[in-house]
Amino acid sequence: MRKAALAALLLLAVACATYTAKMELTDDLYFDGRYDEALANIDKLVSDSSSRDYYLLLLERGKVNLAAGNYDSAIVDLQAAERRLLEIESTISVAGAIQSVIVNPTMGEYESEPHEKIMISSYLLLAYWLKGDREGAFVERNRLIGRLDQHVNGLPEEDRASFDVPFARYLAAVLYEIEGRADDARIEYEAIDRLLPGTAPETVNTDLRELVVFAEMGRAPVKVSTEIRGYLQKDGGNLVGFFNLPGSDAPQMFFLPGFGGLELEQSGVLFTFAFPRCVRQERVVHGGRLVIDGLEAGELAVLDDLEATAVAVYERELGPTLVKAAFRTYLKTIAQTKLGDDDDAAGIAFNVIGKLFAAVDQADTRSWQTLPAEIAFYRMECPPGRHTVRIDYFGEGGEPVGSSDEVEFSMKSDSKSVVFLP
Amino acid sequence: MKKLLIPVLCLVVLAACGGPATKEIDIATDTAEDADFSSADLATIMEGMMPSIAESGFLMQYKAEHGGQKPVMLLAKELKNETDEHINTRLILEKMRTRMINEGFADFVDDQAFDMALEQLNLQATDLYDNTKAAQIGNFVGAKYVLRGTISNIRKVEGRQNYNYINVTLNIFEVETLLIKWTDEVEFKRVSTKSSTR
Repeated sequence: MRKAALAALLLLAVACATYTAKMELTDDLYFDGRYDEALANIDKLVSDSSSRDYYLLLLERGKVNLAAGNYDSAIVDLQAAERRLLEIESTISVAGAIQSVIVNPTMGEYESEPHEKIMISSYLLLAYWLKGDREGAFVERNRLIGRLDQHVNGLPEEDRASFDVPFARYLAAVLYEIEGRADDARIEYEAIDRLLPGTAPETVNTDLRELVVFAEMGRAPVKVSTEIRGYLQKDGGNLVGFFNLPGSDAPQMFFLPGFGGLELEQSGVLFTFAFPRCVRQERVVHGGRLVIDGLEAGELAVLDDLEATAVAVYERELGPTLVKAAFRTYLKTIAQTKLGDDDDAAGIAFNVIGKLFAAVDQADTRSWQTLPAEIAFYRMECPPGRHTVRIDYFGEGGEPVGSSDEVEFSMKSDSKSVVFLP
Repeated sequence: MKKLLIPVLCLVVLAACGGPATKEIDIATDTAEDADFSSADLATIMEGMMPSIAESGFLMQYKAEHGGQKPVMLLAKELKNETDEHINTRLILEKMRTRMINEGFADFVDDQAFDMALEQLNLQATDLYDNTKAAQIGNFVGAKYVLRGTISNIRKVEGRQNYNYINVTLNIFEVETLLIKWTDEVEFKRVSTKSSTR
């Protein structure tokens, strides 16, 4: 029983903080609008990060910088992350793959989801546009369209609606209009209309002075590691051990008489079955009304349900993830039983490594967590000159739950203005 | 089984080590690193454009009509970038300008030196300078032609393969008439394939 107690201690002692746990404080600060504090926190995470998480953390920092109005810094971070994520796209790291199987899936370098890559280009476009670099924004628009085509064309017809990113298309369409490319804008609006009927403008008028406001609402879902941990040991003709199930306060002990025939060593077997769970985040804001120059203009409409996209991506990948988790559990059990059944040094080494790696097993909870749950928009004709705009948010029952910062913008006489409220 | 697994585990644990290495690259024989626009493409563009300008009737006709004088040109602020890459397109135009001046095709006014020149002229007009030797105002030369153009691309990414078609079109237009006096294009397409492992 002493060995069982040691195993239990091992299980409790070696668990490392997951990505979601590490990002919790930054997320709270960011979604609370405390950008400077969020940046200070994420700077530390970036400097302490391993190469496996580095570029994901750059995405997070780039997003916070964008929200804070640090457009140059946002561009540097997002471009560095995008460059690496595209470089490793469709490639395999042999060492990373082996480490992921032997230790846990967080040992591999983060490879972002396709919709996340599209959001990188979208935010880069916004960063260039908001800092006043039209040419740079048009280049990002071109990149964005290329990535959208690559992403959507690679999907089966039935999945296209779930995995498309209408926000990115709308953003691209508005920039096409600003550049005077009405046909290109129309193509994107038609694609949006197929996804969300009635959302796109009925006609494209590149000369119309319009304000287009994009606002982010809620938090993207996060992944949490769900771990079923346990220990089995032969005790005479019986099988004894414990399970530590997710959500339970104490390990569940068990005693199975008559199962002593199982091929278990006296040192027992430590096992972990870990998989990620996708958790939707609590929503305070359920909508917003646009206020321009102190007058209420109307209610924002949802343009992109990124929460639903993230959940759909998670559900699509859950099957393979569970198979990989089961394979890891099997390998570590094999190391402790079949390979670790001798008294020689190698056998002992496999037994110890198998136990250690079982203890450190955890699910890969990495995802871009500073993404919103939804992106809403409002579009209206607007006279030239300087204006202020803000959003008054409301909750599920329509009750007011606060306002965005008031943003000043300039409406030129011959163009459209884009305002982004994270 | 164990004898095989131990070295495999050791290989996994031991990360590859290596220091940075620096090597000089000959620009004349430089080749593109991948499908994106690269420094090697500048040479390709020059190789395509310079003979075209040299052989164009426009330059010869101008010299014939103006007693052997070269035309005065101006660079557009930048090449219009319609690609999906952030490219320093000014570099292409400046490289063209350098070659055209050095090969005696045209004179150029410096589009970026105006403020600096104005500042100098104003300073030299003060008593701080010897007025007999100071640069005189009223001698700026206006450009009769502007060199401008567009760079565009069509990219297709399929798995690990990246196909990129790039087109660079340059033209010289006459300021007075807006007539295009010379135009040509250089186009190339290449595919890069990423290794399946990293």
